Amino acid sequence: MNNSDIAPAVRLSGLDKSFGAVHAVRGVDLTVRPGEVVAFLGHNGAGKSTTIDMLLGLTTPDRGTVHLFGTDARAAVVGGRVGAMLQSGALLPDVTVRQLLTTFAALHRSPLSVGETLERAGITDIAATKTTALSGGQAQRVRFALALVPDPDLLVLDEPTVAMDVEIRRAFWASMREYSAAGRTVLFATHYLEEADDFADRVVVLAEGRVVADGTGASIKALVGHRTVTVTLDPRDTDGLDSLPGVTAVDRRGDTYLLRCTDSDLTIRALLAARADAREISITSANLEDAFLALTDPHRADAPTSPQTSRTDTPKNGALR
Amino acid sequence: MTMTVNYTLLSARTTFANARFVIFTVALPLVMFLLFSSLYGDQGSEGGISVTAYLMVSMACYGGIGAAINSGARVAVERQTGWNRQLRLTALSPTSYLVAKAAVSMLVALPAIILVFLAGAITRGVELPATTWLLTGLAVWLGLIPFAVLGLVIGSLGTVDAVQPITMLVFIGMSILGGLWFPVSQFSPFLHGVAKVLPSYWIGEVGREVLAGSGVPPAAVAVLLAWTIGLGVVGAATYRRSGARR
Repeated sequence: MNNSDIAPAVRLSGLDKSFGAVHAVRGVDLTVRPGEVVAFLGHNGAGKSTTIDMLLGLTTPDRGTVHLFGTDARAAVVGGRVGAMLQSGALLPDVTVRQLLTTFAALHRSPLSVGETLERAGITDIAATKTTALSGGQAQRVRFALALVPDPDLLVLDEPTVAMDVEIRRAFWASMREYSAAGRTVLFATHYLEEADDFADRVVVLAEGRVVADGTGASIKALVGHRTVTVTLDPRDTDGLDSLPGVTAVDRRGDTYLLRCTDSDLTIRALLAARADAREISITSANLEDAFLALTDPHRADAPTSPQTSRTDTPKNGALR
Repeated sequence: MTMTVNYTLLSARTTFANARFVIFTVALPLVMFLLFSSLYGDQGSEGGISVTAYLMVSMACYGGIGAAINSGARVAVERQTGWNRQLRLTALSPTSYLVAKAAVSMLVALPAIILVFLAGAITRGVELPATTWLLTGLAVWLGLIPFAVLGLVIGSLGTVDAVQPITMLVFIGMSILGGLWFPVSQFSPFLHGVAKVLPSYWIGEVGREVLAGSGVPPAAVAVLLAWTIGLGVVGAATYRRSGARR
């Protein structure tokens, strides 16, 4: 057996990158097995694009290493094992879609035929359109076609559905599913938890240049879907707070207790029944961004727990890896 | 190798799909040759050859230079749109990319030379032995090498908006100061000195000397080679930083 057959599709070790004063990526480790569909979830500036650039060999990391199928990124690209849909631009002006794909295919050792590429990307109907006349969504599909040209084992997509309307987005994910069903590895970046959860087997959450969570879509949803009940109690008697229904974690700030809940209604009913001294109760729900930021900094006031502690206190079906 | 050749041919076709490019590099020199030769064509000789032949060589050089510089400067478009990032995800190496781009510039410069020469032969009665036609065309064409590199350097420097005026300025400036629009014999001594260090003067000299049958002047080879090497060094350095996102 060839070494590259057993090697992980992607192995990032200790990737670190700064641009001047901006520390974009801070020690990212990630291993993706062949056949996995992985979402990079995070907001703008989380380090998704920089990590992807380093993964593809477009940017050199300050520290750390990239291995794709056991080789370096450049060798994997030259070998036609990697196809990528870059975030912006990337379409040459003055040519038709077919000419663009023909030119791009000429630069690969064993590319798909242009007809096949057009078909797989579902853009046969716009083959004769000039690249400058494409709508945003159509341009995205052409970029997807470029990624398919090498017939890659690993497909990397940097925010593929930006500028797509609902219908095109649905068609896009349908062609993606078809592609990944053949056992190929897909790694895509997205802002949307729903998109990550719907399509990926595994969601890697990046925030402020770090991997802050890594698990199934369900586990990430459980993590960020939590509400926090804040309550002031007599600190002399707080036993049993963490066994209230729906509570997954308890944090204390003086007399104030932060109860992280999967079902805050249930928790509050039980809390009021059990504790007559409960006062100043408030419920807050974290949005995705707050949740990510909380995950990056375990000492932040609204931070429920550190990622490490999350491992133990999330529900079984949402266990983090 | 096949890959680089294929890419070169496809890129050349793309370059010709741009109307602005064709107008500036083929139509304009052709029209200028026809205009100038009808105005001054009967004025005997200049620098040992007929004025018509002189104008023909000058306008072939002018068109070729425009094509070579403008083609190279299109690298800026590819950088700005992110297309060259996409190209780095192919088997084409950065060196092959530059070689292919230089080859494209050389290729797209050919029509200007051929069409101006054809216009000279057919409409202005320039008569030369077949080998002289071929050697003159070849000499002018090879003289375009530093301009192909110059275009790539300009294209690697800035954004499309910045590169376009720079390209035009360098193209027109080089053409005028190198004596392609007016013979350097009409220049002041200072401008004459300026012309002598420009590749645009020496490419004209190469064309005229070969057309007159006197061979390629060694000084021309030296100046054109020096420009090629100097620009090549600058080009390699600027290209290296052009792939990164920021």
